Amino acid sequence: MGTSKNVERRTILKVAGASAATIGLGATTACGGDSGSGDGTVTLRYAWWGGEPRTIAMKKAIAVFEKKNPKIKIKPEFTDYAAFWEKFQTQASGGNPPDVFQNAVGFLRKYDKRGILLDLKAQADAGNLDLENFRNGVLANGQVDAKQLGVPVGANTMALVIDLKAFKKAGVEAKMGWTWDEYFDALQTIQDKLKIAGDTGYFGIMYLYDLYLRQNGKAFFTDSDLGFTEDDLTQWWTDGYKRVKSGLVADPKKIEQVYPKSGLSAGLAASEFTWDNFSIRYEGEGESDYGLAPIPTTDGKQTGQYLGSLMLSAFSGTKHPKEAAQFISFMVHDPEVGKIMGYDRGILSTTEQYDAFQPTDAQNKGVKAYEEEVAKAGVLGKITPHPSGADVIEAAFLRIGGEVSQGKTKPADAAKALFSEAKAAFAG
Amino acid sequence: MTLVKEAPARPAKKRSAAPAAGRRGRRRENLVGYLFMSPWIAGFLVLTAGPMIASLYYAFTRYNLFTPPQWVGFDNFTTMFQDPRWQKSVEVTLKYVVVATPLKLLLALGVALLLAQKRRGQGLYRAAFYMPSLIGASVSVGFVWRALFSDDAIVDRTQKVFGMDVGGWIGNPDYVLYALVALSIWQFGAPMVIFLAGLKQVPQELYEAAEMDGAGPLRRFWNITLPMISPVLFFNVLLESIHAFQVFGSAYVVSNTQCGPADATLVYTCYLYQKGFKEAQMGFASAMAWTLVVAVALVTAVLFWSQKKWVHYEEAAK
Repeated sequence: MGTSKNVERRTILKVAGASAATIGLGATTACGGDSGSGDGTVTLRYAWWGGEPRTIAMKKAIAVFEKKNPKIKIKPEFTDYAAFWEKFQTQASGGNPPDVFQNAVGFLRKYDKRGILLDLKAQADAGNLDLENFRNGVLANGQVDAKQLGVPVGANTMALVIDLKAFKKAGVEAKMGWTWDEYFDALQTIQDKLKIAGDTGYFGIMYLYDLYLRQNGKAFFTDSDLGFTEDDLTQWWTDGYKRVKSGLVADPKKIEQVYPKSGLSAGLAASEFTWDNFSIRYEGEGESDYGLAPIPTTDGKQTGQYLGSLMLSAFSGTKHPKEAAQFISFMVHDPEVGKIMGYDRGILSTTEQYDAFQPTDAQNKGVKAYEEEVAKAGVLGKITPHPSGADVIEAAFLRIGGEVSQGKTKPADAAKALFSEAKAAFAG
Repeated sequence: MTLVKEAPARPAKKRSAAPAAGRRGRRRENLVGYLFMSPWIAGFLVLTAGPMIASLYYAFTRYNLFTPPQWVGFDNFTTMFQDPRWQKSVEVTLKYVVVATPLKLLLALGVALLLAQKRRGQGLYRAAFYMPSLIGASVSVGFVWRALFSDDAIVDRTQKVFGMDVGGWIGNPDYVLYALVALSIWQFGAPMVIFLAGLKQVPQELYEAAEMDGAGPLRRFWNITLPMISPVLFFNVLLESIHAFQVFGSAYVVSNTQCGPADATLVYTCYLYQKGFKEAQMGFASAMAWTLVVAVALVTAVLFWSQKKWVHYEEAAK
């Protein structure tokens, strides 16, 4: 009995120890470590979304930064776009978002409202962040209510990416100032001559509809609401569906199935509206040659375009606001970083980086020429502020537009559904 | 009760020394048991019970993860029942459950009947048929499925040979759910193994007697096999229905995380996920989750009630 008692006691102690260790381990993991260390080295978590080429370039850029700033270490986190925001939302609600992260205009007000974004003005005033030398006024893209919540790393505009070979073969030309009617006539010619659709599905793209509305004196968003009516949208989707039925716009069933490839690079259509820097991606994906064409207009003049941008923001609760600001400043100004990143996130936003990177390949050169042409044409307007909930509405617009194109929802019902979902998104 | 009764007897320590030591030993044994279980218990309390209670509370609040939850009573539930997308998700899920579960069980039973017979390489066949169940839940299989059922892929080409030009199931809102059903059916291994175990339990004498009476294979199946394995069948129906209600991974992957096209694969959990993690409406998502719990509980209750009519346990057979 005596021995067994001893054994039991030992067993109990061991088990207790093991349990405590397990719980302890859980606790340590849950808390996360402090990002500072004894020797004054600071670690910043830096998160972005994007494909593999961006990640490779980004890691090179980080290495340059760490070499020049040995007291600051950068811990990278990256995923694709959709996963990024789901993860970010969860991290941010738990009070643990990355110190520095990639951001976009659709999320500024949303996370400002939730108190997540650091106003970088104070850091700029303290001399930790340089807010000079931004091109074409893009710095304003990161401003909300007189706060600097993001610092643009690149700028881009919506464009029409075209299959150059297909357009040439069909004998149609995309010219500056052409109208929507001329664009749809071109699609008809392409369909008649080449037996393929002309467009991949323009009417589900929120940013394109925004341009169309701007051409007509409206905009997709006001400061806190939608800037158009249900009737406007019903008309837009009715026309869109008609063009799917007539084959001017590619069959949505087929577009769906080539994802993540675009319908354009998969050869299902001859053109696609998207951000101009995407044309670089299509060159690698598809078998044809791709070029940038002007956005069709309503009056032959105004395209409604503006410079959108990706930006870097910092977490309001970061323990190292100074270092975070220094890192952002370096990433947007350092010429070497500009050379490494190229136009991956749009035309480089600061003059230092813009001058340092000289594109050598046709695609990057094309993007540069396009941006310069658009800027010269004087059509660039100001970016519309996106209210909180814009990201949810963009997803709804794409989804409901898809239902219309599949013939599953009538345009009027679809417009009604979007307005109802928008209401919920603004309230959220 | 015994403990209370024994308590006054305590002063007479000498007399009850042995049983007391026994009790202490038992208590110590229990303590050791609990200590061994403590990581699991802690895990259960922190990771399962805690979140469940929290979500029950959130179901009655408006909660966007950032600002503190606001009590809204039954608002989430009323909004939910009126939400056309929620209705769509219920419709899609029911369709999936009603189509996928019986087909999967039918195939599982059919293959189990074949594999129950003694033949060479039996173990190999069983392993081969069970294999998809092991890997079925993985994301990679979802991608494979997408590739198989896309435009101009193997399924589409085969269909075209028979003059059916669908243009791929994945992009077609009328067909894509059936691609998910096919994926579910393909993973029939788990219920098959359970059916096999059930079939092994059926006494051979019954078949021999029936054969002597001149019963053919169909009659033997209908009058002997089916009633004898009805408890196993009941178990499988119950388990597979519950699983089917919770389908998520395959729908999410096959639809490129969109639960589409045109909400055609918007199964209940997919919508719940969108509401919670994409739109940050945790209150609504919690209300959806609890509605699902109640719905599954109801279905389970109905199945249990119905078993009296068609499930034969041995005692009843006697």
